[in-house]
Amino acid sequence: MKSSLIRPALALALAASLAACGGSDKAEFAVAGSVTGLVYDGLILSNASVPLTVAPPATAGAAVRFSFPDTLEYGDTYNVTVTGNPKHQTCAPGVPADGLYTNNADTAGRLKTIDIAITCEINKYTVGGTITGLTGANLVLANGSTGGTYTAATPATPPSTTPITYELPVVQFGTTYGVTVSRQPVGQVCTVSNATGTMGDEPVKNVNVVCVAA
Amino acid sequence: MKSSYLRASAALACAVLLTACGGDDGQLLLGGQISGVTKPGMVLTNNGGSDYEIPVPSNGTGVTTFFFPNLISSDDKYDVRVKSVPSNVDINTCQYLYNTGRAGFDVTTIQISCAFRTQALGGTVSNLKGELILVNGSDRVIVPAGATTFAMARVAQDAPYGVSILTNPPNQSCTIANGGGTMGAADVNNVTVTCAP
Repeated sequence: MKSSLIRPALALALAASLAACGGSDKAEFAVAGSVTGLVYDGLILSNASVPLTVAPPATAGAAVRFSFPDTLEYGDTYNVTVTGNPKHQTCAPGVPADGLYTNNADTAGRLKTIDIAITCEINKYTVGGTITGLTGANLVLANGSTGGTYTAATPATPPSTTPITYELPVVQFGTTYGVTVSRQPVGQVCTVSNATGTMGDEPVKNVNVVCVAA
Repeated sequence: MKSSYLRASAALACAVLLTACGGDDGQLLLGGQISGVTKPGMVLTNNGGSDYEIPVPSNGTGVTTFFFPNLISSDDKYDVRVKSVPSNVDINTCQYLYNTGRAGFDVTTIQISCAFRTQALGGTVSNLKGELILVNGSDRVIVPAGATTFAMARVAQDAPYGVSILTNPPNQSCTIANGGGTMGAADVNNVTVTCAP
């Protein structure tokens, strides 16, 4: 009789301990991380086709934390990608501060927590246009003091009548530009039209320069 | 007998290897990145010697990688400093990162950044009846109605500048004289804006 009592008791104990091991107590991993450089609305991250919209930070320049609603179990894989860029920006998986490689795709449980780095940069476009009538050497165009310069090649003899297309270095969205003649060509005076503006969402191609005899 | 030959040749091989590795003639690079080089005259030293003038990079940014022509040896101490700077750089602004240490491998991580001397850029406005917006490239300055002077952000020596009008005041049109040039060693305060009617 004794053994018949012990057996059910053992079975009960076993069942209880199994319940403790399984189900709700199993380690779960939140697919989380932070976005740096986010300024504008519209960023959508996705993991396993589940989208997550990330809004810009309340304080400009701060990093934004994100966490997908569904948690993963040990051994599940994840691959977080940018499926929608914010307005005026481009985002991509970045390298975390203490790492060497991007960490947007991995297996849950390999590290204690999942902390994905996403970085966003404001889009940049070139400023340029055409130069017509250039016959003299040494024309230099500048975009202010920090926007870079363009030095025209010495025109051939006789000068080509085809306008020269030029580009100055890229300017960030929302930043102003102002193109001026930094050095006039030999024997000529050049003037710039549409010289100033604020960078939009495409390259500026209408800053045209016309050169005439001095 | 065989084993003693073996030992001797092994010892010889070891000695050869050690000489190749250790030697007095250095074989490790010493360098990194430096900013502030748009003119000749940026000279670096290592341990107070090995003067090396950084070639001016052609891209105009003033940022370039550098390596001392003299190689250093494994376990050598190094201490890289700026000895002299071009005329448009203030030596007191030079900042160093990873510029001292003891070489184990090629040293490529030294970072030195020196700032350019800057000068003020500004001028006068006449007959301004509304708000005027001036730009020098990415520098944007709002000049209020009635102002008679304006100041743009300071400009590095030897950098170009070009002040132009982003937005004219309402019902007025302004023109600029002396708006462009190359910043010298003195402040520019002769940019003249005239508005009409």
